[in-house]
Amino acid sequence: MNRALLAGLALTLAATASAHHSQSEFDFRQGVTVEGQVVKLDWRSPHARLYVDMVNAKGETEHWDFELPSPTTLMRRGWKRDSLKPGEKVTVAGARARNFPTIGYARSIRDASGKPLFTGFTEIYEPEKAPTGSVPAPAAKPTDAPGSKSP
Amino acid sequence: MPIFNRTSPRRWRRVLPAALSMAVLLAAPVAAPAQWLDYKTPGVPRLASGAPDLAAQAPRQDGRPDFSGMWFANVPSRDACRTGDCIQEERMAMEQMNMGRKLQGGLPYTEWSKEQMKVRGANGGREDPHTYCKPPNFPRAWTLPQYLKIVQTPKLMVILHEFNAAYREIYMDGRPLPSDPNPTWNGYSVGHWEGDVLVIETSGIRDDMWLDVQGSPITESAKVTERLKRLNFGLMQVQITVDDPKAYTKPWTVTIEMAAQVDTPMIEEICMDNERDVEMYR
Repeated sequence: MNRALLAGLALTLAATASAHHSQSEFDFRQGVTVEGQVVKLDWRSPHARLYVDMVNAKGETEHWDFELPSPTTLMRRGWKRDSLKPGEKVTVAGARARNFPTIGYARSIRDASGKPLFTGFTEIYEPEKAPTGSVPAPAAKPTDAPGSKSP
Repeated sequence: MPIFNRTSPRRWRRVLPAALSMAVLLAAPVAAPAQWLDYKTPGVPRLASGAPDLAAQAPRQDGRPDFSGMWFANVPSRDACRTGDCIQEERMAMEQMNMGRKLQGGLPYTEWSKEQMKVRGANGGREDPHTYCKPPNFPRAWTLPQYLKIVQTPKLMVILHEFNAAYREIYMDGRPLPSDPNPTWNGYSVGHWEGDVLVIETSGIRDDMWLDVQGSPITESAKVTERLKRLNFGLMQVQITVDDPKAYTKPWTVTIEMAAQVDTPMIEEICMDNERDVEMYR
């Protein structure tokens, strides 16, 4: 998880990333939403990456690179390496990298019909330090990939 | 062997390929390639429903508790909803963030440690060795968000870790700790039994390692004692005592509860395969 995000949420606890790092390269206060076509799901550790091409308002193609949890984590949540195929239309919402304009951290992925294919599950939540306004667990079950199961 | 009596050698030669094909077909469902991810772990006590009986007695080996199997910190899977998004939180022991989080006053840092942690905490903890895909060093490795697997034999315990496909050995053959250790990421470990508790002593840990994300140090001066107790099939307590006079003003003890993980395999997670975040820090 991200220290900047935690600071933004007024948490005092330091934070780690999903699999291996601090994620301070992402600014979780800078949300980004990308609608486009899947180029590739790169199924490698420490983080799977989703490459998406989006045509922007100027008609130019932006090549986006989104960080996902590790393939291990994704597999244990029901994903497979071909869960997203090249050409599929997706909407990815997430956080923008601080210094790289087309790199992001995916928090949710929806298909062309708006159905959630993925909601991020890499954040740490400590009930005793819950930020004001949050809804304590248990909350609505996020919709994960088909076959989702907790390890 | 009645079938041979009823079947001539020539006929047998004719039917053998068909028989073999049938045998392969019959065996195929067992070895179906799609089932590896949730292949049922053999030897697991089960309820009538087929679910693992986590409250069953701890298995034993050679008259001692057997810790063999896969383990992960016993933390629930919870959802948190923020700003309209429901997020499945990361499952990991919160000691990964702060090893002393349950200790009143936290870990008893020396002044040297406090100075170290100021440096380590700068830039969002980016200098964490874990960020750079360094090995999963124990005792921190108990709390990382990957599975580990204990392979126990009477004289040697091996702990495998998914992160970087790492291993750690614990000698249980009566040898002493080395007097001149060659410091390593996991140090040198020996184990002995105190009743049903496996006591693991470790020294020879590399200097100035990290115990958690906030950078709590562990150094070459450390002696670590881990006391493993299997409460039942599903649960294990790992009581960790760190005596490290360079980093801490007094020894301290924390306990991590681990939950058995069954019906799934270890999955290799090689961090350097496609590490991309460090370049984004620059």
